[in-house]
Amino acid sequence: MLASLAALVAAAGTAVAQPPSVTRHVLPNGMAVVVRENPVAPVVTASLQVRAGSRFETAETAGITNFLVRTMIRGTARRSGTQVAETAEDIGGSLDASGEVESAEIRGEALARHWEELLGLIAEVALEPSLRGEEIERERRLVLSQIKTRAETPFSLSLDTLLRELYGSHPYAWHSLGLKSAVERLGRAQLAAHYRAVFRADRAVLAVSGQVSRERVVRAAERLFTKLPRSGAHEVGAAPPAAPSGERRVLERPAQQAQILAGYLGPGLNDPAYPAFRVLGAVLGAGTAGRLFAELREKRGLAYSLGALTPFRTGPSFLVTYLGTAPENSAAAEAGLLAELEKLRRAPVSDEELARAKAYLLGSFALDRRTNARQAWHLAFFEVIGVGWDFPERYARALEAVTTADVEAVAQRYLNRPSIVVLQPPPR
Amino acid sequence: MPTRRILVNGVRVVVQEFHASDVVAVQLWVGVGARDEASSELGLAHYLEHMLFKGTVTRAPGFVEREVEGVGGRINAGTSLDYTYYHTVLPAPRAIPAVEMLADMSVNSTLSEKTLDLEKRVVLEEMRLGEDNPRRRLSRQLYELLFDGHPYGRPVIGTSELIQVLTRETLVGFYRRHYVPESFVLVVVGPIIASEVLAAAERTLGRLPRSGLKRLPLSAPDAGRSARLEIERPGTQAYLGMAWLGPKLDHADTPVVDLLVSILGQSRSSRLPQMLRERLGLVSSVSTAYSALEAAGAVTVTAQLEPANLARAEAQILRELQRVRERGVTDAELRRAVTAAEARYAFSTETAEGRAYAFGRAETVWRLEEELAYVDRLRSVTPAQIRSAARRYLDPERYARLAFVPPAR
Repeated sequence: MLASLAALVAAAGTAVAQPPSVTRHVLPNGMAVVVRENPVAPVVTASLQVRAGSRFETAETAGITNFLVRTMIRGTARRSGTQVAETAEDIGGSLDASGEVESAEIRGEALARHWEELLGLIAEVALEPSLRGEEIERERRLVLSQIKTRAETPFSLSLDTLLRELYGSHPYAWHSLGLKSAVERLGRAQLAAHYRAVFRADRAVLAVSGQVSRERVVRAAERLFTKLPRSGAHEVGAAPPAAPSGERRVLERPAQQAQILAGYLGPGLNDPAYPAFRVLGAVLGAGTAGRLFAELREKRGLAYSLGALTPFRTGPSFLVTYLGTAPENSAAAEAGLLAELEKLRRAPVSDEELARAKAYLLGSFALDRRTNARQAWHLAFFEVIGVGWDFPERYARALEAVTTADVEAVAQRYLNRPSIVVLQPPPR
Repeated sequence: MPTRRILVNGVRVVVQEFHASDVVAVQLWVGVGARDEASSELGLAHYLEHMLFKGTVTRAPGFVEREVEGVGGRINAGTSLDYTYYHTVLPAPRAIPAVEMLADMSVNSTLSEKTLDLEKRVVLEEMRLGEDNPRRRLSRQLYELLFDGHPYGRPVIGTSELIQVLTRETLVGFYRRHYVPESFVLVVVGPIIASEVLAAAERTLGRLPRSGLKRLPLSAPDAGRSARLEIERPGTQAYLGMAWLGPKLDHADTPVVDLLVSILGQSRSSRLPQMLRERLGLVSSVSTAYSALEAAGAVTVTAQLEPANLARAEAQILRELQRVRERGVTDAELRRAVTAAEARYAFSTETAEGRAYAFGRAETVWRLEEELAYVDRLRSVTPAQIRSAARRYLDPERYARLAFVPPAR
């Protein structure tokens, strides 16, 4: 873990900026506002997130949340899409939006002296989107092109295929861009209805980080977001259970490298086993000492890019291991990857390995939360999914407490019969 | 303001006390890149960058894990045409050990025969990965086309033929020649005490003997030529790249071209995305870039699109360039571009490594004081200067053009 600031100050004997303070405030309509005062640089970032995203979609609506928020930044009752972009750029910033798996975000950044204009612009986009027909069609074309690009990129195609194998009919099975069949058909009425359902104060969080004053941000948010309706009649259907296939799928595509991916379902972030599951992922994929790097890259030269992915999910998460290799090494690399996974089931990790994996995870987590943009995202994300903006601190403590026995237990419980995807060029 | 010091042997050190967090950035910049390679040495600068992580005379392999990752830090490196740099972020108390480690790597790496051979396979995989990534491949091949015959037209990663036959002797020779005090810039930014860092630099890098190396200045490339190339690539989408020679880093026009390129295609409201993506629906993305290198610059326009739209998109891009050449840009566009640059700079100062990167790059290929005054230079640019730069650099009849198209059925 990174050294404590207090110890450092004592040793250095120099003036140190106050550590940024975070506060949470609830507006009269129920919307939460989280502010982090950070004096380091003359900038501000804001993340408005709503609890919506592919987790709540069906095969018929897959991609509707991303499509909606992307269209929202294309114009309001008062401004065209170009004017929205120009307004953001005039204050030294930008405005963007995306629907992810667990939440949807409208985010912006600006020079700190323009913080109030930035919040005003975000509120305008969130409260008065015009969803004009021609803008819907423009965005549809771009989203369909992104879906196509994912399907033509070896790694993303392989990953998306593996997630389908792991999740079956659960909505985690598709990428938050959605399914082509759904995005092609979604119309304005559906987008507008989805907007009314999810842009509700009780499922929205605004996080602001930067050179700002907490009181002034809260006052401005109260004024700007007061019209956001408290709650609506929104039904969130229970997702069907995830059902991993445990199969091996082979895709043939022309490519220089073969892609090999093997994955398992895992616990959600609220599950007590989640921190140990992340440590397990780090034992495999963390840095140059991760087993995959040490064994498959350093010792055997089988890959340049390889690793392990584990996301934050409220429902069942996953562990996906991957590597790219020359087609002629594909069989050896696959066997090597599976052998590493099997080894974790057979033998406990050493104390040294555990300590290293934890240090790596805690380091990554701390390093990833230093910019205002990442801070705003983290604060809004954890708050909006219901675990609280201060989840990272609790999660870090839970990671520190993980034992080798915990890691062994999650390996036994979750690493059973991987689902596998191999993408390789067709035989000549 | 950072402190800058030149040690007796020519090593340059830039230090800044920065108390935003308990993280320190320690970077070693080396004035060697792909452009310093002879044609028989292509890929050596990059290969060496990989090999410096494999152990030194006194540090057994795995030191990265023990000294950096094991304490919650990170290290990585990058090689470009003009420079190589090694960058770390660590808990602040590790700053001095990191200086010692980087100094050791810079001159005492073992480059053992065994790891050399194994790493060949890794680098060949890195090449394959690059080939499967259309954007990366487009930018590399566009540079080849634009800088044809000039060192900037070479692939940084090298060629598989040369990598396969690379010997330890060749690599060691390159290492001894280029990893010398005169090439090194050490940058440390974080909650440190500058005098302590300077003392550590003096007792490590500062003890190395001068080599007398004078890096050969690179000649400017020949005037840009017209070249057109179309390459088949799997998939159903097309990629278009167009490139012009621009001013080199140390040129009065550099800030002007920076703003020109920003107005043309570096934001949502800029001209090419507005016209080609929003109004005409010809592309799914389009953007511009200006890379200011030590001996030359490259202005590029790249787009992703349906193959059927290639010719129309190219013609429309040229029309937009022509419009700037004839009518210039508006005051509002210029103001917005300057504000964007100011914001980019402000955001880059958020983290220790953001600051260290800017200082290190400037000190290695430019001058630190120029970097620190750059936003002010941008503020003094006029619309008339932008128009004349468009006329000087963006000739709609002379440019390099590369397209990736789906295979013919």
